[in-house]
Amino acid sequence: MEYQRRTFLKLLGVGGAVTLLPVGLARAGTTPSPEDRAVYISASAGDDGTYYVSAFNASGKILFEQPLPGRGHDIGLRPNHVDVAAVERRPGLYGLILDRHTGDVRAKLHCPEDRRFYGHAIYSNDGRYLYITENDFDHARGVVSVWDAEDGYRRVAEFDSFGTGPHELHLMPGGDHLVIANGGLHTHPDQDGRTPLNISSMEPNLSIIDRRTGKLVHQAALKHDWHKLSIRHLDVAANGTIAAGFQYQGDLTDQVPLVGLWQPGSDIRPIEAPDTVQYRMRQYCGSVRFDASGQVFGISCPRGGLVTFWDANTQDFLTHIAAPDGCGLAATDRAGEFVGTSGLGNGWRMDAIRRKRVELPDDSLKSQHWDNHLRRIIA
Amino acid sequence: MLFTFSRRTLLLSTTTVLAFGLISPAAQADIPDTDYQPVLAHLLGTVMPPKLDEFHDATKELTAEFKDFCNDPDAGGLEDTQSAFHAAMDIWQEIQPWRMGPLVANGRDQHIEYWPDKHGTAARQFRKLMFDKPSAYTDPEKLSGASAALQGFPALEEVLFAGDHGDQMIAADEDGVFLCQYGTAIATNLGTLSGELQDEWPAFATAMENAGPDSMDYPTAKFAATDLYRALHEGLLIISSQKLARPLGDSAEDARAGRAESPLAERSLRNIEHNLIGLFAIYDGKWGEVGEEGKGLADLIDNSLLDRSFRLNWQTVEDTFAELPPSVAEVLEQSDGYATLSDFKGQIDFLTMLVENDVGGNTQLGGGFNALDGD
Repeated sequence: MEYQRRTFLKLLGVGGAVTLLPVGLARAGTTPSPEDRAVYISASAGDDGTYYVSAFNASGKILFEQPLPGRGHDIGLRPNHVDVAAVERRPGLYGLILDRHTGDVRAKLHCPEDRRFYGHAIYSNDGRYLYITENDFDHARGVVSVWDAEDGYRRVAEFDSFGTGPHELHLMPGGDHLVIANGGLHTHPDQDGRTPLNISSMEPNLSIIDRRTGKLVHQAALKHDWHKLSIRHLDVAANGTIAAGFQYQGDLTDQVPLVGLWQPGSDIRPIEAPDTVQYRMRQYCGSVRFDASGQVFGISCPRGGLVTFWDANTQDFLTHIAAPDGCGLAATDRAGEFVGTSGLGNGWRMDAIRRKRVELPDDSLKSQHWDNHLRRIIA
Repeated sequence: MLFTFSRRTLLLSTTTVLAFGLISPAAQADIPDTDYQPVLAHLLGTVMPPKLDEFHDATKELTAEFKDFCNDPDAGGLEDTQSAFHAAMDIWQEIQPWRMGPLVANGRDQHIEYWPDKHGTAARQFRKLMFDKPSAYTDPEKLSGASAALQGFPALEEVLFAGDHGDQMIAADEDGVFLCQYGTAIATNLGTLSGELQDEWPAFATAMENAGPDSMDYPTAKFAATDLYRALHEGLLIISSQKLARPLGDSAEDARAGRAESPLAERSLRNIEHNLIGLFAIYDGKWGEVGEEGKGLADLIDNSLLDRSFRLNWQTVEDTFAELPPSVAEVLEQSDGYATLSDFKGQIDFLTMLVENDVGGNTQLGGGFNALDGD
């Protein structure tokens, strides 16, 4: 493991020890860097059952809290625009378009009666179209809806996701294709909308579709023995490598991979951590994020209270850092560095290369329970 | 029987609701991190090490018995070896639910006991082994690099209890000689694995006990103690979802004793009895003659009524258990066996619920916002 880390440092051209300081201290008196201007945004919850989209700065100071009608999940960022999209977690009915600086509501999206939002949304690179994963629950079919941001967020199209229970989706490099994690789980609002109804027959997959036509371009699934690995979250590196995190629906003691790498056109390559870490991942990955270099990716495991870090080039496990109830992950502008948030109210700056964790200094962050996903914006 | 369980469940539930109602976790102040430290020190530093010693001694005794038996095989020797198997298995089943650190490192728990074997890997490989009789499998060191399915307790169970293996070993025919050598290698390998557990545990325990903000593994004592809570919770889940649900199947017609743990040694329920001893030690802090009552997770529960209620409920399960024979097969042979076993599973599920609500809530170890309800 030590060898791996040393090799990795060399690859990145990083030599001596670098102290991981809170951003305000590390950069005091210097020209504001991108990280000084960074804003982190996430769904959150208060102690009293209220839900928000909240934003904080690099020190952890809360910038705004916008109440939501129900629990949010991920935030979609409109490129070169103030809009961000907060879509209710599954089985969601609302979507709100908010001003990223103030949290003010700029538009509202309503899910059709026979669909339910699944918490994730992504914009096209030109910012015109918003894509949202949805459940066509009467047909146990996943769909991706298309909303025109330049036409008052009118719902203009709907594509097949080519699987059941679509969850996170991302644009592929170039912006023409969408990759979708079809978790494989069928749920129905009549049965609370969250309880899986098809575990014995679930068939998760990763699908890539043309975002303009909805045509299937690539698809891959894990081998049948692992069909209970719900493929839920993913991120895409600039070179097109897709990292995915799984959530296992089988037994606690089953030995299954929880992380996969996919180069479209080939098979999904499962990768595992050493046993003691793999076990502590508790069969559940919460969020996936590539770092600024595109070589390291982090996968949070809130049930095990840790964030795992991996090298996409060598396809090796790098290290892990304890993060009680940690789930949200966003990459900073430094290679190997992430900001993470927890449901207990913590925010950390984490360095995967030097295995360091520093708590964000501003305590206002602790007033919220931070939800699954975290996004970073440069203000 | 089902009616009996329903009535009992209702009574237990009422007790719990009464107890729980008096102290809602939401109303509790945060438990100071320093309160978790003595629990960690007691369970990991005082209670577990002697039990690992006991396990190691039991595997050494098993190896010695196997060697004695194979040197001069007879029915008495077989019986003694089987007894040594049971003794080693008893203490393993108590340790098994403490799934953390050295127990799971390098797949060690699976090497000690590869179960459940969902694809019948062990039986398939064992048949091939008996056909080829490769000498590598009689060498403990080489065996340690072999398939997990062929190197732990289930493989040893096959050697000692399956079909006519005992007779073959006593007869010392070609198969019998191989079985003897292979069985001795398995027992020796179990001794090595239990020795590794003994050796690695102190460093793991120290890391847990020294939890603090500078640790990348255990930033708080509370976070470290979460592993103990999870062991208690998941141990009960595994009893219900694997050790009982697998043989029960979907219906009485679908029930199969062969899907239970340790079916050949006819000790599937005896395993659960010992699981419950190890699990209760996490809560109570006393494990046989080791440890001290009230110094486990119970030490964190500042509510004597709730503590008494939990202990009473646990005792009720143990009382039910005391009336059951040692194997699932024997229970299922009874006319109301399926209902009896289903009833017992229901009681384990009820205990699981109490652990989630009462123990998890009042020790504040039950998990956070994302861990409990993520997406």
